[in-house]
Amino acid sequence: MPQYQTWEEFSRAAEKLYLADPMKARVVLKYRHANGNLCIKVTDDLVCLVYRTDQAQDVKKIEKFHSQLMRLMVAKESRNVTMETD
Amino acid sequence: MVLLESEQFLTELTRLFQKCRTSGSVFITLKKYDGRTRSIPKKGSVEGFEPSDNKCLLRATDGKKKISTVVSSKEVNKFQMAYSNLLRANMDGLKKRDKKNKNKKAKTAQ
Repeated sequence: MPQYQTWEEFSRAAEKLYLADPMKARVVLKYRHANGNLCIKVTDDLVCLVYRTDQAQDVKKIEKFHSQLMRLMVAKESRNVTMETD
Repeated sequence: MVLLESEQFLTELTRLFQKCRTSGSVFITLKKYDGRTRSIPKKGSVEGFEPSDNKCLLRATDGKKKISTVVSSKEVNKFQMAYSNLLRANMDGLKKRDKKNKNKKAKTAQ
């Protein structure tokens, strides 16, 4: 269960995992205000990628990533939607 | 599991965040959804079922209360704006990296 230390690597691996099989992959977000930390997990029940943080600057990145994935899921197959991580 | 309309889901999600401010976690799950309402049978033919491609399922829980909603491409724009604001407004208990930010600002300025 790889835990990523850098956001860059995590978002690239997570996007790849989702695109490999969109129906299988899911994104889980866990927020604890009491401890002040946030954890995002992307898994397809075989591979599991995790990124944890307690930094406020990561909230925006995680929230943007979450929204990007939502858009990917909702977009129709005919359109080739690419994410702008690069 | 309560299935709500997008707007109501956002209201309930805000309430979940507020409830968990002193203790507890908020779990949010996002998954692509093809609109099926019945399980896939092991044997026998799959009934005339049109998998739709433009929906996703959003679930949220605090460990006790569960809520969910389905977002389709038609609502995604409006929903996403409200949802992003909600997340940013509520996930505000994290540390601010002041020292490292100053270093970064100095570097980018040069």
